Amino acid sequence: MRLHELNVREIAAGVRARKFSAVEVFDDCLDRSVACEGKVAALITTTVDVGRSQARRIDERLSKGEDPGPLAGVPVVLKDNMCTRGVRTTAGSRILGDWAPPYDATVWRLLQEAGAVLLGKANMDEFAMGNTTSTSAFGPTANPWDLTRVPGGSSGGSAAVVSAGYVPFSLGSDTGGSIRQPASYCGICGLKPTYGMVSRYGLIAYGSSLDQIGPFTRNVEDMALVMGILARQDPRDSTSTCGTRGECFSKLSDGMKGKRVALVRDFKEFTLDQGIAEAMKKTIAALESAGAEMVEVSLPTVGRYAVACYYAIAASEAHTNLARFDGVRYGYTVDSSTGLKDMFQEVRSFGFGGEVKSRIIAGTCLTEPVRSEQYYVAATRVRTLIAREFSEAFQNADCILQPVTPSLAPKIGEADEDAMKGYESDLYTLPVNMAGLPGYSFFTGHYDAGLGLPVGLQLVGPRWSDGELLNMGFALEKALGAPVIAKAGL
Amino acid sequence: MSDKELTFTPVIGIEIHIQLKTKSKIFCTCSADYTNDEPNSHICPVCMGLPGSLPVLNRAVVQQGMLAGLALNCSIVSPTLFFRKSYYYPDLPKGFQTTQSDLPIAASGWLMISDDAGSPKKVRINRLHLEEDVGKLHHSASDGRLEGAETSWVDYNRSGLPLAEIVSEPDISSAREAVEYVTALRRRVRYAGASDVDLEKGMMRFDANVSMKCSDGRWGRKVEVKNMNSFRALERAIEFEIKRQIKVMREGGEVLQETRHWNDAKEVTRASRVKEFYRKFIVEPDLPPMVVTPEWIERVKATLPEMPDQKMARYVKELGLTEVDASVLTDSRDVAEYFEACIACGANPVRAGNWIRTEILRFMGERQVGAGDVPVKPEALAELVRSVDDGNLSTTAAKTVFEAMLEGLPFAEAVKKSGAVTGGLDADALAKVVSEILAGNADVIEEIKSGKDTKGKKMKFLQGLVMRETKGQARPDEVSAAIEASLKS
Repeated sequence: MRLHELNVREIAAGVRARKFSAVEVFDDCLDRSVACEGKVAALITTTVDVGRSQARRIDERLSKGEDPGPLAGVPVVLKDNMCTRGVRTTAGSRILGDWAPPYDATVWRLLQEAGAVLLGKANMDEFAMGNTTSTSAFGPTANPWDLTRVPGGSSGGSAAVVSAGYVPFSLGSDTGGSIRQPASYCGICGLKPTYGMVSRYGLIAYGSSLDQIGPFTRNVEDMALVMGILARQDPRDSTSTCGTRGECFSKLSDGMKGKRVALVRDFKEFTLDQGIAEAMKKTIAALESAGAEMVEVSLPTVGRYAVACYYAIAASEAHTNLARFDGVRYGYTVDSSTGLKDMFQEVRSFGFGGEVKSRIIAGTCLTEPVRSEQYYVAATRVRTLIAREFSEAFQNADCILQPVTPSLAPKIGEADEDAMKGYESDLYTLPVNMAGLPGYSFFTGHYDAGLGLPVGLQLVGPRWSDGELLNMGFALEKALGAPVIAKAGL
Repeated sequence: MSDKELTFTPVIGIEIHIQLKTKSKIFCTCSADYTNDEPNSHICPVCMGLPGSLPVLNRAVVQQGMLAGLALNCSIVSPTLFFRKSYYYPDLPKGFQTTQSDLPIAASGWLMISDDAGSPKKVRINRLHLEEDVGKLHHSASDGRLEGAETSWVDYNRSGLPLAEIVSEPDISSAREAVEYVTALRRRVRYAGASDVDLEKGMMRFDANVSMKCSDGRWGRKVEVKNMNSFRALERAIEFEIKRQIKVMREGGEVLQETRHWNDAKEVTRASRVKEFYRKFIVEPDLPPMVVTPEWIERVKATLPEMPDQKMARYVKELGLTEVDASVLTDSRDVAEYFEACIACGANPVRAGNWIRTEILRFMGERQVGAGDVPVKPEALAELVRSVDDGNLSTTAAKTVFEAMLEGLPFAEAVKKSGAVTGGLDADALAKVVSEILAGNADVIEEIKSGKDTKGKKMKFLQGLVMRETKGQARPDEVSAAIEASLKS
């Protein structure tokens, strides 16, 4: 077995026991990424020098008898919307094409303190707006299971690198499903934590009240290990309210007995692809045999209004978040002799891609003084109803089992043709962000016996039930099997 | 109705921005004091609005905002929110300003002023809200304006300084009232310690909304005049605008609703050539609702000092000071506190007030220092005033002693240094001086004894000689008694 095939726990243990060095791990992972990149194109930046010198430092510390931390020598890839000091951070956009932040995102600081090593920055939909990782200014990423298909979005690059075995874990961000959906398409584990569980400081914002950083891993134990490092309150982020709740990740148990797992009654009318429907059946059976009780809950407002309201809120916040990209202080700029307004226009016209522009325009329209009450404000009211509906549902259930998407990964180019279909496919993911809940996307197996695409489902729980969701995921992983590394066309 | 019969009533509301007194900026830990420092030397990812940076509200700003609000008789509102106010400008790093907008921390206050007829008048304060300041542009054009500038530089040192915007109701009817309102407001805010309100450092800026009501029932539209940073500019701008609007209305024209800028050098308002940006608001998602507990409000209330107008009334009523004296003594909090410390040590209020008004304020003005930096401590001044009152020190001697105290000497040493003796002269010493003086002025004594000194002038002359000889240490009544006694003997 080659080193890049090991999981987080195995690499950290091996490096700390000095069975192999951090540099060896890094180089093997780097080799794997170089071999796959031509086909998968999951990275915007490969941080060879930064990563190898970090790995070298880990080895030096070990040779001095120091403990470099629980992630000693574990290579990681960060979605390229997380700031890395001195390493370019583009958010998948031309407007930040060569911007190197002067500071680290809190998550990256925490990972470094735990001994992790940076392998690269992952491709993503521009400013995290998209479902396919094809709105990136750096070109699309392919699904490692089928290179003609999308890896999902917007954290498609982060999912692909874990699926293809570049690294045992990566970080993505999830504003409306951007961790869970690519995890599902790529056949790995993805957690969108409770809003406030992980600091957003240094995450280039899309919809600030919806964004949440979370990890991709190839098994649930690694997920708990990484979350145990990331889940802590950050004084630099006023919406970070984790407190000591991160302790829920210290130990996994698989006690499913007596747990009530709910299906949503209102979602029954929506059709699912056969692979997803079969996975649901298989998973329900696994849950029942592990001792869980299946129940039903109702989320009528979610079913009817969540998607429309989500886009109103996300676009409204996005257009303010993206207003800072004006070419004055950093990023793409022009030497304009025609005046200030022309400069702003030129920078933004060239710097932003189509998807981003359409959402900025939508956000601008939705928040205009005459329309704001009707759209933006109304959406925030519905959001309150949605959150209430979920918490009522959780009076009768410990968690909800539902699809991540109604279909498997589409072909590259196909998904972009029908925007409305894309929006409909978000029904299972967006409401979770609107209510600030945790959602765990897990692997259930491959459709069509081993050769086909992976199929993922998700567990959604009440706020701060992240640890509980992983416990259930632990039981499911035992029953359904853990993710495996994709061939990535090799 | 002919033109000449028309009368116009100005309707004026004022928006004031003050910089709250805190060590650091509103959403980051950068220092709020950048005076004379290099441009862009007090900046960080947060106040620069770099991608990924997040604001964290500085508690001290909330506290100072409450303090200012309470000083202006406002009620404190909780919970409140911050909003994003969107517009584009190079000095606005995030493309929006984070502000409390219409859900302010303090609302429904008022201030008393006197109207143009001298009667008391209440000016209502709509609200006080917290917000961040933006950066500052420097243009290469000769007049410092954006138009015609080849190059513009941005300094973000100001970006993120904590501001309170205080919005009055349109209760003001003249430029004079406007100045009185802002003066009273400034004094209260400074008293409360919420802001240094230093106009020269840009800690207080004014916008005025001016419209005119005509006796024929016509209403002019509201004109917002921006860009005033001194009392004089505010007064002149309002005067100019009132005249301009009356002229337009007299000529049958319509006053347009617009934003005008005050040009301080030319003393005119000009319609703003930069079209106003379309401003929009959404809730600031990076800041949770701001909750101020009743306990916190009470704690802040407890730190609120007696306000200048209350002090003034009390000085007049309880201490017997004239209104003028009381007003001078209450103009700034440190002087009032100095005065109160002085009378707390037993000094006569009127006399202590006189000393402070003349000597202490003169010193403060000459040295440009606050009352706290005057070397003569209030206790020492009280001792001096008491000695004069008790007749232990003549006014002349007291002046010399005071000068010595200004050099930092305590009272007793200052007395010694100035050669004065307190407690008057004892009877023997006085008798000695008197007999010396009388011996040297036999001719004068002769005149008195012969009954020629009907007006007592000669007597006064002798007294004066004694006083001079004793360097003012003798008590005048004792001196005249001693002289009379000698003459009779």
